[in-house]
Amino acid sequence: MFQNFRLAMTWLHTWFGLALGFVLMVVFFFGALSVFDREIDRWAIPQSRFAPQPMPSFDKVLRPVFESMQPTKESIERMKDKVDGPMPERFDTVRRWGAYTTHRDPVLGLFAGYVVPNAKDPEDGVWGNRTIDPRTGAALPDDRLKVGSRFFYPLHYSLNFHWKNLGTWIVGFAALMMLVALASGVVMHRKIFREFFTFRPRKTTQRSALDLHNMTGVVALPFHFFFAFTGLVIFAGIYFPVSHTQLEPLHELHEKIEAQETGLPHDRAGVAAPLASVDAMVAEAQRRWAAQGMAGEVGFLALQHVGDANGYVSIYRAGTDRIALVGNGIHFKASTGELLREDPPKSAVDGVNEFLTGLHLQHFRHWLLRWFYVLGGLAGCVCIATGFLFFVEKRKKQHARAGSQGARVVDALAVTTVTGMLIAALGILIANRLLPEALPAGWPPRGDLEQYAFWGAWVLAMAHAFWRSAPVAQGRMAPAWREQCWAIATMAVAAVLLNWVTTGDHLLKTLGAGYWPVAGVDLFILTGAALAVVAARKLGRRARVVPAVRIAEAAHA
Amino acid sequence: MAASLAIHSRLHVALRIAAAVLGGYAFCWGFIALGMAGLYALGMPFHDAEHLLAMLAFLLYAAVFCWAFVARSLPRVWLVLAGAASLVQMGLA
Repeated sequence: MFQNFRLAMTWLHTWFGLALGFVLMVVFFFGALSVFDREIDRWAIPQSRFAPQPMPSFDKVLRPVFESMQPTKESIERMKDKVDGPMPERFDTVRRWGAYTTHRDPVLGLFAGYVVPNAKDPEDGVWGNRTIDPRTGAALPDDRLKVGSRFFYPLHYSLNFHWKNLGTWIVGFAALMMLVALASGVVMHRKIFREFFTFRPRKTTQRSALDLHNMTGVVALPFHFFFAFTGLVIFAGIYFPVSHTQLEPLHELHEKIEAQETGLPHDRAGVAAPLASVDAMVAEAQRRWAAQGMAGEVGFLALQHVGDANGYVSIYRAGTDRIALVGNGIHFKASTGELLREDPPKSAVDGVNEFLTGLHLQHFRHWLLRWFYVLGGLAGCVCIATGFLFFVEKRKKQHARAGSQGARVVDALAVTTVTGMLIAALGILIANRLLPEALPAGWPPRGDLEQYAFWGAWVLAMAHAFWRSAPVAQGRMAPAWREQCWAIATMAVAAVLLNWVTTGDHLLKTLGAGYWPVAGVDLFILTGAALAVVAARKLGRRARVVPAVRIAEAAHA
Repeated sequence: MAASLAIHSRLHVALRIAAAVLGGYAFCWGFIALGMAGLYALGMPFHDAEHLLAMLAFLLYAAVFCWAFVARSLPRVWLVLAGAASLVQMGLA
């Protein structure tokens, strides 16, 4: 198809980079924000602005909460076509209870999975969630959206498009194209070392954009490669579901053998049994970790086959000081508290896998690295955005002469995905602070309205981008960029002010108290506002200079 | 670049892309299925084989994807990717 290797790679880089760049922009930006997802949750849910808590007592706090839980309406709805006969009214056979926490969580997320007796596939089930204050067991209002960990974070890997996992597939393809773009980018640019230090902001926009594209791509190359690759590895089970399709018989066989080897029952016995003190099991697990020189907190607590003679309790150590999310699992018989098994050390492959996925997910404590992740993610955004700019700058004069709208459309889409995305992100934060605590009866849940604000703001930004990009078709710069920068600056300041007005937590107070989750989010938003003002002013100056040059050129001609 | 593309039809470009995306996927699926069955038979734990093959498969996919555009002959690309994938399926069936 091409004369040589480099031309083929250039074609790949240009067209797949452009097409998937719009997705990658979202993935990189919301990935960067997800590094501080829990801190954004604190900003969005003022009731949860208190210090992180350890896993509370199961016997006193968690058990009554778990016992009062039922599956969510959505999960029952999803099960609708997968049962024989009518759906049960209540679900009392608990397959699994689980609670997961990290060193950054003041509130605790609980999970419960239930057996559906008349399910066509007995492995299917329904589930419920609840978020509690672990100090009292009181539930948080369930219409509160965790904007960081339940909206920005899933946006990062699924675009919040869950129908048939399609969003996750699109993001996966984009990640694969990121790997391809990195490989083809390196082939295109032979002078890799020089790219590190080359940025000529005073040259033409086309040249400066390319310099910045190369620099942010090369400087953070290992970061980009690592995150695209490990992102794929995390979802390998979705992208290549070999074990659950073609090799399902082998997988089932393995599960049965594993259950025999570990002594952890694969199925229920069908005989009811009481539950011994889980607190005593936790104490025993912590004693065993301490005896191995690894004293630690509980990160993940799970009960399997609840209320059954085959029930067991699994206790995992929090990975605060480890790459892996959790580890050192110890399992007890639920009815007696007898020790069933201590997980053996990881195999080499498992160790590598845990290392790769654990480094990507970063639930461990390392604030400096956490900030490097943000910088790496934002460098990726700059790389993609300058890629768009270069594409447009290189072609817009030519397209203007030919009367083509190509450059204009790409530019409008670039405005939508770069500045429009920031407007959407600020839109959800502003809506979160503006909506009343208790909504009038008949309104959609508060969290849903916040999400509508996000998508609504984005659609408006897109409409504006297409409307205000007409000059690109004449070879000039779109005023949409500048105008959206002003919108970002205004909205950012508004978000921080609204946080102050609605919660009383202004920056002097949060900084004075050293309450970094909220102070950090406020400062980050204000930094964004300052950068948006700088960008808007520069663009404004250029918009005034360019017509002057044009007039001078015309006079000479 | 435009000149080199012009001599090829849109159909050729579409077939290249299809070869890279679908052919590459089928090829990597076969690589995982065959590799897992093989390594498990050789005594590697099931989930170790699963994880190892998945990690390698993504790198392989990216490489195969590039190759589908770089290779001179499009029929050869299809022959290698689809052919290998079908052979694996027949072998495992």
